[in-house]
Amino acid sequence: MTTVTLSDLRKEFDDVTAVESIDLEVRDSEFLVIVGPSGCGKSTTLRLIAGLERATDGEVRMDGRDVVDDEPKERNVAMVFQNYALYPHMTGRRNMTFGMKSAGDFTDGEIDDLVAEAAEMLDIADLLDRKPGAMSGGERQRVALGRAIVRDPDVFLMDEPLSNLDAKLRIQMRAELSKLHTELETTTIYVTHDQTEAMTLGDRVAVMNDGRVQQVDPPQRLYDYPANRFVAEFIGDPAMNMLPATVDGADGGAPVLDHRAFTLPLPDDASSALDDRSSAVLGVRPEDLYLVEASDGAYPGSIDATVDVIEPLGDSLLLECTVGEDVIRANANPRADVDHGDALELRYDPERLHVFDADTGRALYHSATTDEAPVMHAGD
Amino acid sequence: MSSREIYTDRRTAGLLLLPTILVSLVFLYYPAARAARRALYSSQLGLDDEFVGLENFAELLTSGGYQSRLLLTVGFAAVVVAGVMVVALLLTFLVHEVGTGKSIYLVAAIWPYALPPAVAALVFIFLVHPSLGVLSGPLATLGVDLDWFADGRQAFVVVTVAAIWKQIGYNVIFMIASMNNIPETLTETARLDGVGRLRRLLWVYVPIMTPTLFFLVILNTIYAFFGTFAFIDIMTGGGPSGATNILIFDLYQEAFDFFNWGLASAKSVVLFAIVGVLMYVQFRLTDKYSHYGA
Repeated sequence: MTTVTLSDLRKEFDDVTAVESIDLEVRDSEFLVIVGPSGCGKSTTLRLIAGLERATDGEVRMDGRDVVDDEPKERNVAMVFQNYALYPHMTGRRNMTFGMKSAGDFTDGEIDDLVAEAAEMLDIADLLDRKPGAMSGGERQRVALGRAIVRDPDVFLMDEPLSNLDAKLRIQMRAELSKLHTELETTTIYVTHDQTEAMTLGDRVAVMNDGRVQQVDPPQRLYDYPANRFVAEFIGDPAMNMLPATVDGADGGAPVLDHRAFTLPLPDDASSALDDRSSAVLGVRPEDLYLVEASDGAYPGSIDATVDVIEPLGDSLLLECTVGEDVIRANANPRADVDHGDALELRYDPERLHVFDADTGRALYHSATTDEAPVMHAGD
Repeated sequence: MSSREIYTDRRTAGLLLLPTILVSLVFLYYPAARAARRALYSSQLGLDDEFVGLENFAELLTSGGYQSRLLLTVGFAAVVVAGVMVVALLLTFLVHEVGTGKSIYLVAAIWPYALPPAVAALVFIFLVHPSLGVLSGPLATLGVDLDWFADGRQAFVVVTVAAIWKQIGYNVIFMIASMNNIPETLTETARLDGVGRLRRLLWVYVPIMTPTLFFLVILNTIYAFFGTFAFIDIMTGGGPSGATNILIFDLYQEAFDFFNWGLASAKSVVLFAIVGVLMYVQFRLTDKYSHYGA
């Protein structure tokens, strides 16, 4: 079992900096997902760990040993690629054994046993004598996984392995990957641009943007306590609403967020977090907004909105509304009686508000009050 | 209408095809038909043509000299094709693997192909002329005494090497294109698995490149049988003592040195038949063993 530690890792391609000073610790047996938009440097980070790219600066340590100058094969990692990377002229079995024979660490008997074991685990016994051309996408990815497993690597590196599969198969393979990791307990680093994959698979998720790690946390914590606007908007679908507001009464009493179209009182404990700043950005997720029903009576601090777009999703109704000059999205009851152009009132969950710095985007305050809540300081 | 049909008007299409068809008819099919016909005649300078049936072919089949030249040609072609393929593949792999200056190496590898065969032959004479060659001195210090104007075996080697050298560039062009088409992730998988370079070339790249390689074997075979005429003509004249007298040069001599056109035509028909059969076999093998990517 292996830990992987990246310290101050940098990678430049000519005049482009793909990865900028990354510090990241992947714990023993952990399933860590690196997620981020295209070009954020997540794949490059993975390739730096694999040894397929040479770091411009910084360290990659495996169990404390610096491997930055090691060839890929000396790192004992196995990689699964988006395009499967199966040798097209070899059968499934040969694809799995070809690398093992090159490494020369296994006897023929051991190889046969390991292949049989992996084939059973992945249910690919009937694919072993077929060539990739005669396999479907899902079958190819299984064989590619098998090839990674039989090597018995210290670390699995997966570069968007499910992105070429159709939606249904992706969900199925996701569950299988999870099961596989529980079974094997091999340290796994998984790169994806799909936040659902990240949230469902990762023990912890590292969100990257512009070559930097924005936040590393377990999925729920990432969702509940985003460290900055980027994470808040990237995690969660539809994305968190961001509404610029001015801050009133921060001195002494409870602060109030003043938007052009509504005012929103914050709890007392927000005052120290907001310090004496005069503006901030309010973040509230669409799923934390509710339609005010007539029976609710007058509700303090509700938001007046006008419906622009209605998107029925089956399990909910996604409303795109105008609030003042801003656009806000809310998840409503799927069978709510809403029409295009309706003026309505939105209620929010006071426990699910986020406030971000207007300039840096850094999170200033989360209104959630669970035990896990991180201590926020204005000077963080 | 398929996207390939650029001309809706058949007359325009026909008109544009006409030059090619005319040139092919006048300079290829008509002479070929005439040669096939003439192979059935005794046709020599100063004598009237006389129909002799298959006599010319019978003479070739029973001629010991012709049989040994046939054997020599097959050997020459085998060495040239194998030599070209192996050297070009290794050069391509080196160009593919090198980090910096890739295009310079590529141009250097392709360079000889840019020369017309006759010029290439002359260049090669300058390189390995027994007494004046640029390489002859250095080779002599290595204990190689170049004497290929008189030594038949040496002459064969020199002409073969020249023919290989000339054809490498053409092969490198196709091979590098094919090798560059191999997904980078396959190379990376091999690297992660610790697959050595030579093993990667032979077990990963070559099987994937087979369609291109088979195509090149066919073109190189045609080259070895027909395209090497200039080397023989300029460098050895088929000598010494027939050591480099391959069929294409032999039939040229028969026609234009000995003016025995009937027999020369028969020889050209035989050569055509040999290469035709080889092509057929190679195409069949291509279908059977080529891997077209997954």
